[in-house]
Amino acid sequence: MNVLISGGCKNGKSGFAQDIAVKLSGNGKRYYVATMIPYDGEDRSRIARHIEDRAGMGFETLEIGRDIASCLDGAESDSTFLVDSITALLLNELFPETHNGDADPEAAERCRSGLLKLAASAGNAVFVTDYIYSDAIRYDSFTENYRAALASLDRALAEVCETVIELCAGNVIFHKGGLPE
Amino acid sequence: MDFIIGGAYQGKLDYAKKQFGVTDEQIFTCSETDGIRFGARCIHRLEEFTLWSVRNGKDATEIFKGHESEWRGSVLICCDIFCGVVPMGADMRTWREMTGRLCAYLSGEAESVTRLFCGLPQRLA
Repeated sequence: MNVLISGGCKNGKSGFAQDIAVKLSGNGKRYYVATMIPYDGEDRSRIARHIEDRAGMGFETLEIGRDIASCLDGAESDSTFLVDSITALLLNELFPETHNGDADPEAAERCRSGLLKLAASAGNAVFVTDYIYSDAIRYDSFTENYRAALASLDRALAEVCETVIELCAGNVIFHKGGLPE
Repeated sequence: MDFIIGGAYQGKLDYAKKQFGVTDEQIFTCSETDGIRFGARCIHRLEEFTLWSVRNGKDATEIFKGHESEWRGSVLICCDIFCGVVPMGADMRTWREMTGRLCAYLSGEAESVTRLFCGLPQRLA
């Protein structure tokens, strides 16, 4: 099954996603698809914290910052993939390695097709995204376009995922479906 | 009146069309410069109307109370801009608070209140 998890920052999404992925995978293979490409010490310490959090949970880590469906290459078909996060994936795709400073207008569509392919092909997939849509700020056009693109990916995934969850201060709100006992 | 709320880009307008049969011609979209037009079947982007209210020294909720008969049958849509950090600018702070108060008022008056999350409706009232 496929699960989408959203919510505010530091509300428990990643930890909850790991628990779900472990539960869904049973005895099958489980992959942690890390999408963040570290740019500074703050990123590296966040990654170190996540690695520590999931130590001993049996994940194989795949570092995939772009072309998300490539995580399927060589993987067993009934594997479970935890993608953390859509937010970082979109940012990376907006600025390909060869970019000239302008955001790539094809990025959102590339993310969408890759994510939908993963959802359709994986044994199980758990997607983590961020809820960044409810504040009183007039953003610049780049940020506004980024928010719109991320929301379009969230909505595309929410449509195909059997279960959609919002994490609020560690509490679970089901917007669609449920979870196996 | 049916009230739809939720974050930016969450599918509020699509839901209004699907659930209440609203057509493109029936939608009035508020703006910071032109405010609101009551009487439309669906009034979209109420947060732009509250910003217009702030810019023009008006109280959005009082304006709504004065036009009650005109929106009783409408579908009203507002972005929940009041969940984030308190903005630095005084106008933006007033905007955020005025929007919160208007939404609380409209929720109390609505036959249904629905929040959209990633395109999924959550019935609040």
